[in-house]
Amino acid sequence: MGRIVLKDVAKSFGDVHVIPPLNLEIEDGEFVVFVGPSGCGKSTLLRLIAGLEDVSGGVIEIDGEDATGMPPAKRRLAMVFQSYALYPHMTVRKNIAFPLKMAGMDKAEQARRIENAAKVLNLTDYLDRRPGQLSGGQRQRVAIGRAIVREPAAFLFDEPLSNLDAALRVGMRLEISELHERLETTMIYVTHDQVEAMTMADKIVVLQAGRIEQVGSPLELYHTPRNRFVAGFIGSPKMNILEGAEAEKRGGHAIGIRPEHIAPSATTGTWKGVVGVSEHLGSDTFFHVHMDGRREPLTVRAGGEVSLHHGDAIFLTPDEEKIHRFDHEGLRIA
Amino acid sequence: MATQHSRAAARTMISPAVILLLGWMLIPLGLTIYFSFLRYNLLMPGANPFVGFENYAYFFTDPAFWPAVINTLLLVGGVLLITIVGGVLLALLLDQPIWGRGIVRILVIAPFFVMPTVSALVWKNMFFHPVNGLFGQLAKGLGFEPFDFLAQAPLASIILIVSWQWLPFATLILLTALQSLDSEQLEAAEMDGAGALSRFRHIALPHLARAITVVILIQTIFLLSVFAEILVTTNGGPGNASTNLTYLIYAQSLLQFDVGLGSAGGVFAILLANIVAFFLMRMIGKNLDL
Amino acid sequence: MARAVTTNRKVVSTVFGWAIAILIFFPILWTILTSFKTEAEAIASPPSFLVFDWTLENYSTVQERSDYFLHFMNSVILSLGSTVLGLLIAIPAAWSMAFVPAKRTKDVLMWMLSTKMLPPVGVLVPIYLIFRDIGLLDTRLGLVIVLTLINLPIIIWMLFTYFREIPGDILEAARMDGASLRDEIIHVLTPMAVPGIASTLLLNVILAWNEAFWTLNLTAANAAPLTAFIASYSSPEGLFYAKLSAASTMAIAPILILGWFSQKQLVRGLTFGAVK
Repeated sequence: MGRIVLKDVAKSFGDVHVIPPLNLEIEDGEFVVFVGPSGCGKSTLLRLIAGLEDVSGGVIEIDGEDATGMPPAKRRLAMVFQSYALYPHMTVRKNIAFPLKMAGMDKAEQARRIENAAKVLNLTDYLDRRPGQLSGGQRQRVAIGRAIVREPAAFLFDEPLSNLDAALRVGMRLEISELHERLETTMIYVTHDQVEAMTMADKIVVLQAGRIEQVGSPLELYHTPRNRFVAGFIGSPKMNILEGAEAEKRGGHAIGIRPEHIAPSATTGTWKGVVGVSEHLGSDTFFHVHMDGRREPLTVRAGGEVSLHHGDAIFLTPDEEKIHRFDHEGLRIA
Repeated sequence: MATQHSRAAARTMISPAVILLLGWMLIPLGLTIYFSFLRYNLLMPGANPFVGFENYAYFFTDPAFWPAVINTLLLVGGVLLITIVGGVLLALLLDQPIWGRGIVRILVIAPFFVMPTVSALVWKNMFFHPVNGLFGQLAKGLGFEPFDFLAQAPLASIILIVSWQWLPFATLILLTALQSLDSEQLEAAEMDGAGALSRFRHIALPHLARAITVVILIQTIFLLSVFAEILVTTNGGPGNASTNLTYLIYAQSLLQFDVGLGSAGGVFAILLANIVAFFLMRMIGKNLDL
Repeated sequence: MARAVTTNRKVVSTVFGWAIAILIFFPILWTILTSFKTEAEAIASPPSFLVFDWTLENYSTVQERSDYFLHFMNSVILSLGSTVLGLLIAIPAAWSMAFVPAKRTKDVLMWMLSTKMLPPVGVLVPIYLIFRDIGLLDTRLGLVIVLTLINLPIIIWMLFTYFREIPGDILEAARMDGASLRDEIIHVLTPMAVPGIASTLLLNVILAWNEAFWTLNLTAANAAPLTAFIASYSSPEGLFYAKLSAASTMAIAPILILGWFSQKQLVRGLTFGAVK
């Protein structure tokens, strides 16, 4: 079981309010991702849940029990750190055994669980090595192994993939997702990478300056971002934002249109511009289009190969159905 | 970044050290100050009346006081001069490519690990002794009159012994500092046409300035308290010729059993050391980023 | 990049380097050599360097005549005892300052270092009287206490600098894994800090072994370590050069060997981080 409820949880360091009072419910078995730019308070929030920091106000409940004042060891949570935080003086086996030893579990049960975890994580051959002799990906697996043997109420991941190279990151992403499918245990995952958030999460919590901007499933956030910040943060490449006449024409202070919802043409369309940089990836083509009266180029995505190049005139037609409208405060107009 | 729990634990865990050091500092310090205002001699049991600044007056007018101050300054100054100049030169030498540099380093550092009483005795008997000492024999061999170092130049002899002990320390620290000098800086200077001497003056020496200051301050703290070397070689004599403040206070308190007078001297020694410590602590503090 | 050095230059600096090193080391070398001579040869004129009847007689005489072993053991007990006791007090304190720094941590650390700068003679009288009154004069216990206290600031300082190099993440991971504070320090921090703790131990054994103010003033026959025992040779007995040399060699040999292992720690421990 791992249902975690935050009620009016706040954190300040001295006079700096890192997290203003915030409410959040995490259901048992859910994969929740905290995402936001660096310094948005997502790691602090995770550390509050872990018990590595005290809350300045509010209540944290784990499975209905008030855990606010509990030390980390009592919360039945396991954490995987960005740096992996493996014990360098212990073998992999001892690293994984450490939480079990601390819990006073008998040796036979320890051995059984370690063996299981090692099998699941492909670590069986490395059990007698030390962390210093392992690759980044293997260390990551050891850190996960140390977390799963405890059979915790929930897993906390603090940017666990940011120290891995790009190829390995994709592989580990899949492994963690698979692990979640199999264990069906609550996972809270912190990242600044919206792709990780979109691909892994059941529920995404977008944070900015300690505030929750929006909570929802990946597709909810994609289709109906609550405000301009979420609209800009979720989706890659970023949503284009237009202000002024074009926005007013459509009944908003600003409008947003994703690159994939604009159709380019060499001959005809709603807007006219000039191709700046074009990126031909084979599967897709991205155009950065310069338009009169706009400083930033508009990003457009076309499927397959489109033969337009730097300096060519281009016509763009937005899918009117998929335009997002925002008011003066940046909030979505329904 | 921590929780109430860990902060409370941190306070508990640091308190034994704090309490012990606080006790070690305050109790003797308080007693020293208290005794310094009493007429208190262990040879004259009975009441120890409060006498105000009488002990201080005695201490500062003691005929041995000024010689002790001057000897202390000469001892500290002399050793500092020898060890700093020698240390810089040695550090520069040891920074050069040398076959067997590791062994050379070890030999140079060795005196620092010799206990003060041993080095004092070895120098006193086996080198300074006018008849059997090596220097005496050398003089005789060359046809000179043997020179009784500890009788005729007691302070200079002690300065030599103490310098021998502290030269390795200065060398080691200056060498460490020298090795942290970016070699690209030196190469850039060389490209700019600076010769070896001006490279030393304009780049190496300024780089060493900080380390030299640290060596001066730390050595001063220890040199103000030189004791065993004097006790073993000259007992402060002949007369007061090699008595420093530490030895004077020791003699007054433990040889003449005058607790009050010794304590007044102790307070003076503490004030003196604090002046040096103040500057040293400022340097340490600047370098300590928490 | 270091460039190729001309051989000439290397020859010159090697000659100079060795000459000065041997000059500086000579008093120690001479003491060791003399310890293997007979008394007559020790003061022979002209002195003999290597060609003499090597003998171990002095070493056995020193032991027989003056109970050398007792003082040697005193030195071992005082230096190890004060260092271990100091470590037990310092490890928790250094943990606090390194991993749970507060606003005052720097002040506390600086204050601790400043106690090291108190001149011993300034507090000699009260300590002497207190020790006399509670019967600690000339006891090993009394000296262990004093040596622990005078070196505690250096021990705390050194451990603090070593602990700060250990990432706090790992201690937090241990906390998440259910380790109590005690487990965290015993099973995670201490094993990880073994090299730093060993260096600290080494340097403090050296400092305590060579301490020659308190050991001279607070001991007599019973608890006197080698510093005080050797000082007794300043009486006419010191004229027995060979025996003096044997006693001295035995007194400095162990620490000379330890000292050579601790050159780097020396800089770190004695400059309080002011030189890196």
